[in-house]
Amino acid sequence: MSAETAGPETLGSLSDEPQQDPNSQQAKEISGKSPLRIALGRLARDKIAVVCAVVVLFFVICAMFAGTISDLFGVSLETPLASERVDGLNNGLPKPEMGPPVGPFTWEHPMGVAPRTGEDNLAYWLHGCRVSLLIAFTATLIASVVGVVIGLLAGFLGGAVDKVLSFFIDMFLTIPFLLAALTLAPILNERFNTSPDYPTIQKFSLVMVLAMFGWMGTARLIRGEVLALREREFVQAARVMGMPTSRILFKELLPNLAAPIIISVSLMLPAFVALEAGLAYLGIGVTDGVSWGQTILKAATPTYFREYPQYLWQPLLGIVALVLSLNLLGDAVRDALDPKTRR
Amino acid sequence: MKRNKPLALVAGAALLTLAACGGGSSDEGETGEGTQREFGDQEGGTKDAERQGPAAEVEGATEGGTITVYLAGDPGPDSLDPTGGWSVTGNSIQQALTHRSLTQYIRDEETGDPILVPDLATDLGTYNEDFTEWTFTIREDATWEDGKPVTPEEVAFGICRSLDSEAFPSGPGTKYSKDYFAGAADYEGPYTGKDPKCENWDGVTVNGQDITISMEKPFPEMDYWGAFMAMGPAPLGNASKPPNYGTKPLSNGPYKVESYKPNEELVLVKNDQWAPESDPGRHQYADEFVFKFNQDQAKVDEIMLSDNADSQTAVSASLGSDKYNDANAQLGDRLVQQTSQCVSTLTPDYTKITEIEVRKALAYAYPYEDVWIAGGEVPGVTRIPANSVMPPGMAGKKDFQVDGEQITYDPEKAKELLAEAGYGDEPYEITMVYYEVDPLAKATQDQITKGFEASGFKVNAIPVQESPYNVWLDPDSKINKKLNLRGVNWCSDWPSASTMIPPLLGGDEVYNTAFFKEAAVDEEIDRIVTEVPVDEQPAAWGDLDEMIMTDYFPIIPTAFRNDLFVFGSKIGNPTGDGALGAPNYKDLYVMQ
Repeated sequence: MSAETAGPETLGSLSDEPQQDPNSQQAKEISGKSPLRIALGRLARDKIAVVCAVVVLFFVICAMFAGTISDLFGVSLETPLASERVDGLNNGLPKPEMGPPVGPFTWEHPMGVAPRTGEDNLAYWLHGCRVSLLIAFTATLIASVVGVVIGLLAGFLGGAVDKVLSFFIDMFLTIPFLLAALTLAPILNERFNTSPDYPTIQKFSLVMVLAMFGWMGTARLIRGEVLALREREFVQAARVMGMPTSRILFKELLPNLAAPIIISVSLMLPAFVALEAGLAYLGIGVTDGVSWGQTILKAATPTYFREYPQYLWQPLLGIVALVLSLNLLGDAVRDALDPKTRR
Repeated sequence: MKRNKPLALVAGAALLTLAACGGGSSDEGETGEGTQREFGDQEGGTKDAERQGPAAEVEGATEGGTITVYLAGDPGPDSLDPTGGWSVTGNSIQQALTHRSLTQYIRDEETGDPILVPDLATDLGTYNEDFTEWTFTIREDATWEDGKPVTPEEVAFGICRSLDSEAFPSGPGTKYSKDYFAGAADYEGPYTGKDPKCENWDGVTVNGQDITISMEKPFPEMDYWGAFMAMGPAPLGNASKPPNYGTKPLSNGPYKVESYKPNEELVLVKNDQWAPESDPGRHQYADEFVFKFNQDQAKVDEIMLSDNADSQTAVSASLGSDKYNDANAQLGDRLVQQTSQCVSTLTPDYTKITEIEVRKALAYAYPYEDVWIAGGEVPGVTRIPANSVMPPGMAGKKDFQVDGEQITYDPEKAKELLAEAGYGDEPYEITMVYYEVDPLAKATQDQITKGFEASGFKVNAIPVQESPYNVWLDPDSKINKKLNLRGVNWCSDWPSASTMIPPLLGGDEVYNTAFFKEAAVDEEIDRIVTEVPVDEQPAAWGDLDEMIMTDYFPIIPTAFRNDLFVFGSKIGNPTGDGALGAPNYKDLYVMQ
């Protein structure tokens, strides 16, 4: 008598997982967990992921409670009269009583004050963190929702809809982001600069610009996944049973797309944080001064870098730590969600 | 002069902001470490019609060597055509070294003031009673670099070229030649008017060595206008046809053009045909001058402060304000401060802010020193407090103070003045613009807003992404119509108030962004230009200046502006040229 060629035994031995007794304690525990819980468990065992999560949490807390923390330290965003805090005859560096680099550390201004203007660095750092995360989170949210919806529709409906949507995806991919941002800034300025809400409008338009040029990657990824998924038996079955398309899309397909969505979001976030700072540095993002990129622009002169390096390091470290930990966390999340990776 | 304008476009953001900043604090005494600097007043421009060549030797001067000049953040002139030059950089180089004109400035060794002396003309010109006819006698011993003599016909042709405002759209002739010379308004110029020999314009006549220029209206300052290289000779006919002539113009000064790469480099070498006896003002000490345009300020500062072999014979026409302290401590006399004959002003709209009390309140509400610091200036060094629109060193300048003493930041006084005008109850609204792309401009605006709001004003600052001048000078701009506070930076073309007061405060002038118009003032300007004898004019301008500021206070002078020049340790005679606001190229030498 011949055995079946592809019986369960053969499949089992092909896997590189160590053989387990299906009745063992360990196996029972696994079988009782959802895929997401398994992923979370893996994440919790990943030391880098935990450290990164703590760092991200720190920045999120700084951003959410920027005002409160500033009040605790007794600092604010208010512009002081420059001559009260900096010495115009000493390259505009802070006066000795304002703390480093000229004087000793003081709790009045724990991170010192900015040269030339005398604005408090801590307050600007905290609020810069808030602006950075607010813009990055909102842009990521919008970009991923748009990307997911378009990817789902294009992949599942196929045909003409797919062609049209793919065309738009390709078209947006061809527009050079920086050039578009450079062109849009003066147009938006001219349209809205007399409005009292100009700073808010500016941030909103920045979110829009980031989102507008950020959704295509997600859309392509999702479309590809959906193309593969829609031929699977459970989707076919759902169709045969006459489920409405929306139900198939959101109840059947979407849960299976959780991994690619989380991955694309986790990579988009740090990219947007860096882009926000980059645009502010170029003077086409946030221009009201409350942004890490703007602080870097002011600090990046040879003289200040030599005599007051902390002024540049503060926002720089903020950006580097945030972007790096978001990226590593994203990697860890991907590893945890992907059953194919083993470490 | 519109000197500021090209400069502002060049240096971009940093300079644009100055439009809205400036000063008036009296904190001059304070200095950090290093040499105590005295920034004295420069006395008014004097004239010496008798001065003859050769120019007096500079004490201890030696011949030979190469002088390298770094021009940071400045692309230099687009063309070397003398008729088209109207920028500080181009004119200061060419007028000092390569291109002669009717008259020129030299630096008084003792006082440092500019003196107007003859150049190609043998004197400063003779004029008829009402200044409508000027005659200059051209000297016979001046030569071109090819050895041929400079003829009066060539000078007349050069003058005729300045009338071609299409061939030289940004030349100074578009203002002065076109305005003053007889029949100039109807003459299109030798190139546009297809009149290559300038036969169709009879405003200038040649008689032997004499050339006579007829004026449309009295022009008592023709001798100053004669110091522009546009009022110099040009080879006749096609030899000087623009734009080709601008790449390698024929030189008649002590140096000639060896090579010229626009926006990059200009190399000048000795012109062996130039005779020292023919020139009352210029020297020929160094073998070579190399001008490097478009340099990075931070890089140049590092080079100049390093004192290595390269920088010892180098000159920098600017210094980053963040380096001022190091430079001041390290360089001593080799850091030269020079008034640039410029004033920064705020111009309250005369048609909207009608009460003098409110305009004065604005002057007291402006935090001068804080604005300077935030804008990256060094208080008391690159910006000094101003009392009127006439910069220090201008003939006739009066040392008066509108309110008895220098106006400084004083929010309480501003509030009192506002209350006097009847605006004590609620904030007086001020609408102004700032250039948002530059963080320095934004920081400056923050200081202004802070000062104004502490003084009972409410500030509506509109961010713009183009030069504020584009807004202020555009009568159709929607934003401009909303503004009630503007600004303007102005520099003199020559040390006479006629290049300051009329363009800034005359009714209907382009740069009168305050829209100040008072019949009494306009009449007085007209009277001074047409009726007052030349030697009494400076005093009359000084009186008018005081009268305007005391009676109307239409413009808030925030600062007089100074330039900083850095000289290498082997450059002899480190001085500035007070007439143009540039290093004094004429008298430099390399120590051997």
